[in-house]
Amino acid sequence: MLLGFLVLIAIAAIRLRDLFAVVMLFGVYSLLTAALFMDLDAVDVAFTEAAVGAGVSTVLMLSGLRLTRRWEEAPGHRPPLPLMVVAVTGAALIYAMLDAPPLGDPTAPVHQHVTPYYIEQTPLEVGVPNIVTAVLASYRGYDTFGETVVIFTAGLAVLLLLGVGGGHSFRPGENAIGDQTVLKPVVKTLIPPILLYGLYVQFHGDFGAGGGFQAGVIFASGFVLYDLAFGEGNARAVVPPAWLHRLAALGVLIYGGVGVYALFAGKAFLDYSALSANPVAGQHAGILLVEIGVGITVFSVVLSIFYAFSGRRRKS
Amino acid sequence: MLTAAIVAILVTMVLALIRAFLGPTEYDRMLAANAFGTKTVLLIALAGHALSWHSFLDVALLYAMVNFIGTIAVMRFFEYGNTRDNEGSGSTP
Repeated sequence: MLLGFLVLIAIAAIRLRDLFAVVMLFGVYSLLTAALFMDLDAVDVAFTEAAVGAGVSTVLMLSGLRLTRRWEEAPGHRPPLPLMVVAVTGAALIYAMLDAPPLGDPTAPVHQHVTPYYIEQTPLEVGVPNIVTAVLASYRGYDTFGETVVIFTAGLAVLLLLGVGGGHSFRPGENAIGDQTVLKPVVKTLIPPILLYGLYVQFHGDFGAGGGFQAGVIFASGFVLYDLAFGEGNARAVVPPAWLHRLAALGVLIYGGVGVYALFAGKAFLDYSALSANPVAGQHAGILLVEIGVGITVFSVVLSIFYAFSGRRRKS
Repeated sequence: MLTAAIVAILVTMVLALIRAFLGPTEYDRMLAANAFGTKTVLLIALAGHALSWHSFLDVALLYAMVNFIGTIAVMRFFEYGNTRDNEGSGSTP
């Protein structure tokens, strides 16, 4: 049922030429994807998809759309060849699917390799109730460090392309919504709970769904909301863009610093047991520090990309 | 009982989706997307309770927040667009 919805939305998004409608449909699409992840019991993934896919990327696409035209031009190329390539690839993928073991089959290769080790050893070695967090931040800490660096690099690339707040000075309250007597108090009362919720997601990642990635996005969306309702100058006065660039680097430095510290303590890179005499306590501290690093980087990159988009003016 | 509620929500999701596809004006689409988001929150809360999903309320809460922010961003988009067009010829530096 939900998959059918997804296919319908994808087809409609391809057919429509009104880019605004496409952005709206993509928002719906990613909400649905997240609902599917929920159904597969992948709460952490659903969390990320909802926060990043439905929330921030809709806002970013809208602010990008503001800089360009709203209607997509009719494509200039002939459709048969690309259609054939896509059809052949799709057929090959579906053919490969026939050999895949059924969902949840305990003898499937994916459940045979390292998964039993993670499930059995996490309570003993890491002592964190949420196995996803243990795998992400501890067993696979390398990969997550790579992801954090990728996010940092992506933010850097966007800033290089769009320019670092050049040429346009912001007055507080500029472009604020006019006399919105309902909206402004609502936003004002909502922002503290949103930030609190972001902190909860950040520090509760060991126990339930969540972690640095989701928390950074939630935290940033609180500031995006403030910016949307109270004008660009105000949000920039609270969190200046120059700070954000430093914070983004600081997050990566915290993560890498934990790894290098472990090196100096005579252990492997990112081996958290170096952080404390008790290996399990060391794992706890390491995961906490690393998640904070991830959260800081994601928060500042998301917010500075938003600043970069909303700070530009369309040259008409 | 819960199943009936879930089915009802799915039906309203289909209706909202139809409106989002057809929607002659952007306000129709906007309202449809917003309604769809609200229905998704309800669906997750209900299905999470019925199928005893893991920490589903966290996700439902996040959805509600995301939906709100998205709607406000859309409103701003239209407001920006209008003011730009009105003053575009007059005060462009």
